[in-house]
Order: sequence, then structure tokens, then C-alpha cells
Amino acid sequence: MNSIRKPIANPDLVLREEFDDWAVLFDPDSGSGYGLSPVSVFIWNRLDGRTTPAEILADLRAHFDDVPDNAEAEVTEFIDDLARRGFVGYEVPLSGQR
Amino acid sequence: MKLNAVQYGDPSMRIMKTPRSLDLFVTGRCNLRCTYCSHFTSPGDVDQDLSTEEWLRFFEELKRCAVMKVCFQGGEPFLRDDLAELILGVARNRMRFSILTNGTLITDETAALVASTGRCDLVQVSIDGSISTTHDAARGKGSFRKALDGLLLLMKHRVPATARITIHRGNVLELEQIASFLLEEIRLPGFSTNSATPFGLCRRNAEQVQLTVAERTLAMEALVRLNSKYDGRISAQAGPLAEALNWSAMEEARRSGEGSFSGGGRLTGCGGPMSELAVRCDGVMIPCGHLSHMELGVINRDGLAEVWQGHPDLKRLRNRSSIALTGFESCRGCDYLPYCTGNCPAVAYAMTGDAWRPSPDACYRRFKEAGGRLPSSSSLE
Repeated sequence: MNSIRKPIANPDLVLREEFDDWAVLFDPDSGSGYGLSPVSVFIWNRLDGRTTPAEILADLRAHFDDVPDNAEAEVTEFIDDLARRGFVGYEVPLSGQR
Repeated sequence: MKLNAVQYGDPSMRIMKTPRSLDLFVTGRCNLRCTYCSHFTSPGDVDQDLSTEEWLRFFEELKRCAVMKVCFQGGEPFLRDDLAELILGVARNRMRFSILTNGTLITDETAALVASTGRCDLVQVSIDGSISTTHDAARGKGSFRKALDGLLLLMKHRVPATARITIHRGNVLELEQIASFLLEEIRLPGFSTNSATPFGLCRRNAEQVQLTVAERTLAMEALVRLNSKYDGRISAQAGPLAEALNWSAMEEARRSGEGSFSGGGRLTGCGGPMSELAVRCDGVMIPCGHLSHMELGVINRDGLAEVWQGHPDLKRLRNRSSIALTGFESCRGCDYLPYCTGNCPAVAYAMTGDAWRPSPDACYRRFKEAGGRLPSSSSLE
């Protein structure tokens, strides 16, 4: 798991949280909706550009019961999937910075 | 622990925290007086349009509530001088929009603005004929030409545009010509249909506009045939085409002995209160445009989320789905009970004064007893 890059949620998307803790991630430009489970919502709300995926995973383990052993792989894949869809980005370091 | 995104629209979802979409009746004014208008003389016909500032302030609340889309309606929304400002306000607050219009006031500039937002789902223009004589007879002299010009301007700017045909006694014999005109000559991707409903001016002009049983039968047959001819490019949520498809499914289920339809046997016909709300031109929140008498609150005074979650009238409307049809005298002994949902509460209210009973207009048994016939089964394939 990448311990340096801090994913940032696309601010143009709208998160509609629902009563049963599920949510829809709505893109007003395309009109498409993307369903999120309660755990996915938990992760999404931490994609703030300041939190690493490893820190998100640690939060997950602290917050939820019965987190499976393959959670790291699932969290990584989930964030990567969001990035592929353009829902998440990463800050580009300035020249000279690492 | 499930990370994978679930299918949008998971049926296990219950009531939402806020509505997903709103119908905004931004003006009570209209430049036309169509003979079957559902607005004028209805409870929604209030002579008080809100200011630009009130609407823009409300859009900010809609953003906080994560509302996804709004539909501008009226009256005639293009009568508002500030419609462009309202549209931009919706876009700025991260929503999408659609517009229902008579099309007569659309300019090149407004069509271009609508297109430029990239947030328009649809503009629906009312067109009731393939020639001016038919259209203008119900909508006013000169309205056909102007509506068509408006529609063509939308298409020029690549705004997703469609037409809505309201089927009434004056155009029911011209459905073939209308379909050909819109789909072949104008080359719309599709259009939708409805029939004149018992609201507003339509009630006063019922004899002139509302279809007889024979005309309803004729319209069903024509629309089913035309929809097949044009590969499904004609749609309907209500009116003769929707009735033909729904009632045919009910008839087929009864003949084959199928147990019941999902939601059948109870007043489940309206899902609106589960995801949508409306606002009258004076800022009063209502369940929908045809239940304008049911006042739930006022925008910018009462919180949208609080009204949505807590108003007793909305809760009662949602609980309508628990009412069994067997409790109604008019439904006793009906063979179609397991498949029937009672349809629209607003039509039920308009016809009987009670929104908590089935709509008489949507009763298939009543239609049959009055001599109505469904299209032949072969035409439905």
C-alpha cells in the first residue's frame, strides 16, 4: 500500500448519504451515479488530501468490527478504482519536492 | 465488510434523507390558455411568483441537501426574465435540470445558454399536432409555429429535446401523422404521450377534450402499432400507451394464472413521495404539482430535510402503499386485483375528493365494462 500519496476526492462530485448509511456518488456533469456501501462512504469521507491509505486502513480497523485480513488489498483496489473513474486525484508535487 | 460499489438504485434502500429531485413551478403565469391545461383553476394556480433571490437562496439549501436534479415548470418557465439566472444558479449548486415548456418563447440565446451549462437532462416541448390547425385549436393561434421554432432551436444547439403529445379529442385521429412528423420529418429521437387529465381547465372543458372510451381504445391501438413501427421511440408514463401496456400485462397475467404483481393489490401506484417533492410558484412545498392543495411548508422558512422526513401528510402518502384494494367497494370481486396498484393519488383526488383510494380513471375493469378493448395481442409483440 502506497504510504506517501494522499488521495483527494473530486470536489465536483456530490455525495448523497442515505438513511441506511449507503450513499450515491453523483457526478452532475455526466448525470451518472455510483453507489457506495457504508464502508465505502467511510473511506470516501477520508479522501481529503491529508490522509494516506495506510491511515485510512488504520481508521477502518478502529471503527469497524470483523475487518478481514485482505482489507488492505480491498481498500487499495477501491481507491484505485475511484482514481480510474476520475473520482479521486493526487496532488502533483512541485518541481524539486518529493 | 463490503467495499464494492453496489448497483445504483439498490431496492433495499429505504426512505431517503432528502428528496433526490424537485419539480419547481417557477411561475404561475403562461402566455397560452390551452383547453386542457392542468394548471389554471387548479390549487396550484396562485398569483404570486417568487423573487430571483428567494429561488437562488433555496438552491443553496438544495446543494446542502445533495439534491441531484430539478425540473423547471409552470405556467410557462420561459416567461421568467430571470430564467437564465435560475438555470445558472442550479448549475452552480451542483445539480442537473430539465424544463417543461410550450416552446413558444425559446430564443436562440436561451437555447445556447441551456446548452452551455452541460447540465440539461431534457427540454420537453408540448406539440399536439403535425399541422397548425390541430395544435392551435387547443393551444392558441400561432402557437404551433412558435413551438416548432423553439424545438428546432434546441435541436440546433444540441440540447436534449423531446416533444410531449397530450392526446385529446381534437388530435386522437391524427396520431399517425404526428408520429411521422416528429420522428421522420423533425427527426426527434423520440417523444412521449399522455392524455388530457382531469385537472385544472380540463375539468371545465372535459366534453371537448377528454377521450371517450371508444377514443381511448382507438388511441391505444394506434400508439401500440406506431411504437412498434418506430422501434420503441414513443414513450408514456400515463395515458393510452401506458394503459395499453399495463392493462395488457394484467390481462395476460390473469389468463396465465400468475399469482400477483409486485405491489399488486395495494395502493402502490405512486412512488413520488419516496424520492421527489415539488414547490409551487409562491414557494409552498407540495408533494407534486397535482396535489397542490397539500401544503407541506414554505421554502427558506421551513427546512427541506425536516419537511421531507417529518411532515405527517408526506408520511401518510408514503403509507398509502399499505392500503389494500380489497377494502374498496369498487374493487370487490375484481379479477385484476392482484395486479392492480390503484394508480395516481392525484387523479383519485381530482375525481373523488380522496387521494387514499384507487383512481377510477385507471380502472381496467371499468374500462372493459364501458366497452373498451385492448389492442390485439399480436400488435403488442
